[in-house]
Amino acid sequence: MHRFSQKILPYILLLPMGLLMVALVYYPIAVTFSYSLREMKLTRPNDTAFVGFENYVSVLKSQDFWYSLQNTLFLLAAVVILTTLCGFFVAMILSKEHRLAGLFLAIAILPWAMPPIVNGIIWRFIFFPGYGFINKLLLMLGLIDTPVDWLSNRWLLLSVVAVVTAWRSAPFCAIVCLAGLKSIPKELYEAAKIDGSGSFHSFRYITLPLVFPFIGIGTTSASITAINIFDEIVALSGFSDVGKNVLIQNYLTTFSFLDFGKGSALTYIIMGLTAVLGVFYLRSLNREVEF
Amino acid sequence: MKKTALLSLAALAAMSLAACGGSETAETTTAAATTAAETEAAETEAEAETEAETEAEAAEAEGEALPDLSGVELTMMVPDWGNPGEELLARFEEETGCKVSVTEVSWDDIRDKVSIAAAGGQAAADIFEVDWSWVGEMNSAGWLAPIEMTEEDIADEPTLETFTIDGNILALPYANDYRIAYYNKDHFAQAGITEAPKTWDEVEAAMKAIKEAGICEYPYSMPMNADESATTSLTWLAWAKNGVVFNEDGTFNKDSVLDALTFENKMVTDGYVDPAMRTADGMTCYNKICSGETSFMVGPTKFVNFISNPEKTAEDVLGNVEAILLPGKDDVSDRTMPLPEAYGVSAFSENQEAAITFVKWLNSPEIEKELYLANGSIPNRNSVIEEMINDGTIKTPGAMLEQAKLIKSPFPNGVPDYYAEMTNAMYNNINQMVLGNQTPEEAFDAMDQKVKELLQ
Repeated sequence: MHRFSQKILPYILLLPMGLLMVALVYYPIAVTFSYSLREMKLTRPNDTAFVGFENYVSVLKSQDFWYSLQNTLFLLAAVVILTTLCGFFVAMILSKEHRLAGLFLAIAILPWAMPPIVNGIIWRFIFFPGYGFINKLLLMLGLIDTPVDWLSNRWLLLSVVAVVTAWRSAPFCAIVCLAGLKSIPKELYEAAKIDGSGSFHSFRYITLPLVFPFIGIGTTSASITAINIFDEIVALSGFSDVGKNVLIQNYLTTFSFLDFGKGSALTYIIMGLTAVLGVFYLRSLNREVEF
Repeated sequence: MKKTALLSLAALAAMSLAACGGSETAETTTAAATTAAETEAAETEAEAETEAETEAEAAEAEGEALPDLSGVELTMMVPDWGNPGEELLARFEEETGCKVSVTEVSWDDIRDKVSIAAAGGQAAADIFEVDWSWVGEMNSAGWLAPIEMTEEDIADEPTLETFTIDGNILALPYANDYRIAYYNKDHFAQAGITEAPKTWDEVEAAMKAIKEAGICEYPYSMPMNADESATTSLTWLAWAKNGVVFNEDGTFNKDSVLDALTFENKMVTDGYVDPAMRTADGMTCYNKICSGETSFMVGPTKFVNFISNPEKTAEDVLGNVEAILLPGKDDVSDRTMPLPEAYGVSAFSENQEAAITFVKWLNSPEIEKELYLANGSIPNRNSVIEEMINDGTIKTPGAMLEQAKLIKSPFPNGVPDYYAEMTNAMYNNINQMVLGNQTPEEAFDAMDQKVKELLQ
């Protein structure tokens, strides 16, 4: 009896969560997949014929998809690089013993706690065409003669979006890296110092390898943030074609054009891309560290 | 160790019959007056009867008596400016027994919530916001319950045409909005122009004179950002200037639309429009008339109130801006475009009749007036606008009433159900044109191709 309860009890305890996962995750995933195989435009409610993978083909053939994918990949690269560099740099500063370290830590975390849409709106005022803060500052410093239209050029807009997003995601990366830095035993640095190692060598052969898995966590988080950018783009440039990423394209297709068939196909394509990225990161995280 | 990452995205009345005050009819008897006391009693009774009849007539004049809806609870999903307010809701509950719960949702989100619920055959709310631009798709999707209105109401509310498809009225407008022109008399006078512009050629000449005289750096204001306001701006311009936007088959009228695009582009290239307006939202653009940063614009009706409001308009601009009729090709235009917002009743609602009663009540002349006082919603009935102008409730109306009488929908077959895709193509190409990346011809061709694609 005891052995039986030992075998069964874990499953009983897992059951509520399992049911919730089925109802709220797996069922919608399955339904979305069935939508993606159908003609499912809500303005034609009587036309819901099975079309196989036609929606997928249509999405992959559309210029809008490839354009938005390019934007997504640019944002992914830019946000990951900016977040990692800024996050690690901030972590290095915060790791120094200081009386105001606690205060600095609290200030550094603030942007992370900000809702993305609020973040986007604040930055919109900063980059506002004509009389935004940045333009006023640059004009005052005499660096420009006429205001820069930050949000009308594709790559300029995407760069602004990347900066805005990195500003929000860097604190998390910094906190994770800080945890990594704090966990390195001081004895390692002392031993290295006795062996004649300088600051750079200690950083290169002790700090960096040991903090690498933590950077990996920060990078993974930044990647997910970068792929899921939505509010910042909407706040900065609305639903314009210029800065749209795959998520905006998905939103437009599904909810604006009410094409749930193509929208669901696009959802699955995005899900596939994200899954590939996830596997890649998880593999790199589990690498052995040598020092 | 190998792990598999799985990241998922899930997209995913009864009405009773008794009428207020009408269920109990006092029985009266007329007795022969044999004594003075009896005569007095009879006179009193006759007076009471006359009074009751007068009250009933007055109620009838105001509209149909409201039914008893005790026990019915309605849900309403609207943006903050569409909330009728606690007082009106309490009054409706008092008069009918029906409780209405309002959920304020951002304008964009309403459409998403309605579509997701409708995809599952559910009502997101019994009553919800219906923007003029949504009515085509909501009609095709079968999400709206038709509402019957009298011929008299239809004649008094020109904006109803926008919400009418195949003879069915699908929503009742609560916030009137039609395009009307505003000009700064002071700027024009300083440039030596004493009359309001009647044609678009006169507008262009005035802009040139004002800019060259250094009165205003950017005298013309028009939304051009890649959003809905750029689409509506092009549409009203072509509509007012040339009297046509779409052909009967739903395609663009090339001469008219290309002419409007060319005019808009010229305003930018000649430097009459602030370059920042190419990426600024519509309200930022319209507010320039109140701050004195522009001399002429065509904008929302509510600015009729703003131009006399010291909280909205700069001190040196107050009293200088006037609302005038839209210019046309050879004289003032004989039309304007309506952009109203309405309350629609969900086709999936279980309390459809009660919901229709409520929205009709909100649409009644008396309540329209109160809605204006409560949240500034411009009335849809011309009779109400006229009354409010005459009694001074609406200050500085300018050509507001005259313009309201010229409301006509630019869509010959009603707002199309592919409007969302069409407007997306329109505003992106307009924006590319004003940014200098496309010529008006290229912008037109891209828009035209998209519409033809959608029509197939």
